[in-house]
Amino acid sequence: MNTFGLLLGIATLFIIGLGFVWVIRAEQRLGYLWWPYFMGFGLLLIAASLFLRSDWASALLGAVGASFVWGSTELKEQAIRAEFGWFPFRAEKIEPPFAEVIKKWPAPDL
Amino acid sequence: MHINLTGLIAASSAFLGIWLGHVTVRKVERLAPKLWPPIIAALALGVGLETISLSTAQPLLSASTGILGITFLWDALEFTRQEKRIKKGHAPANPANPRHARILAEHPDATTTDLLDRDPIGCPVTVDEAIRLVDRKDTKGAQ
Repeated sequence: MNTFGLLLGIATLFIIGLGFVWVIRAEQRLGYLWWPYFMGFGLLLIAASLFLRSDWASALLGAVGASFVWGSTELKEQAIRAEFGWFPFRAEKIEPPFAEVIKKWPAPDL
Repeated sequence: MHINLTGLIAASSAFLGIWLGHVTVRKVERLAPKLWPPIIAALALGVGLETISLSTAQPLLSASTGILGITFLWDALEFTRQEKRIKKGHAPANPANPRHARILAEHPDATTTDLLDRDPIGCPVTVDEAIRLVDRKDTKGAQ
């Protein structure tokens, strides 16, 4: 019996669960305009996973990368949920570099 | 140089699993008159994929079916969580679905408007304001 996939699936579930936590925090402190940076960071992690020798290390890094890419597409909806008071709202955000350019791009929302 | 594809396969399966679940659970919950058939289907799909994952010697196949299987098992749970969001008005109800029509009659917060279908404005918003913002966006889109 090969338990690799099942254990990896369970680990991925926890990684996705952590995604909920950081998306809430990041939106609250930084704001949804940081989405391209989170997406880029996730893609970098996935690229880095290609160069790891261990299958476990590569798979876990890939899953963490995917959760960053997914989280980047959740930030905009999270900002709206916070404006409703479904999550704690904070008006003061830290502007990302090139905020004016990012504002012109449609924020991903899958 | 040796390229290890395990991470890329794990990342694609995780992203695809979350995305498919996210879209399918919302769509099916909106249309299904009863929730237990889709719940059983998601459980069966999840268990089937985990069976493949456990029985294959191929690490890449084991990884992708293992991750997809767990996300489908989670989706079985998400059907009832989605129904709770409908009751709270956090997701739009479908009046053509008799189950949702009942929710609309019994839960004052339930609404047919998708309150998340707008851009963030950077300050707290009440539900009434949100409905106006969503409507304005719809009329702008229609022009």
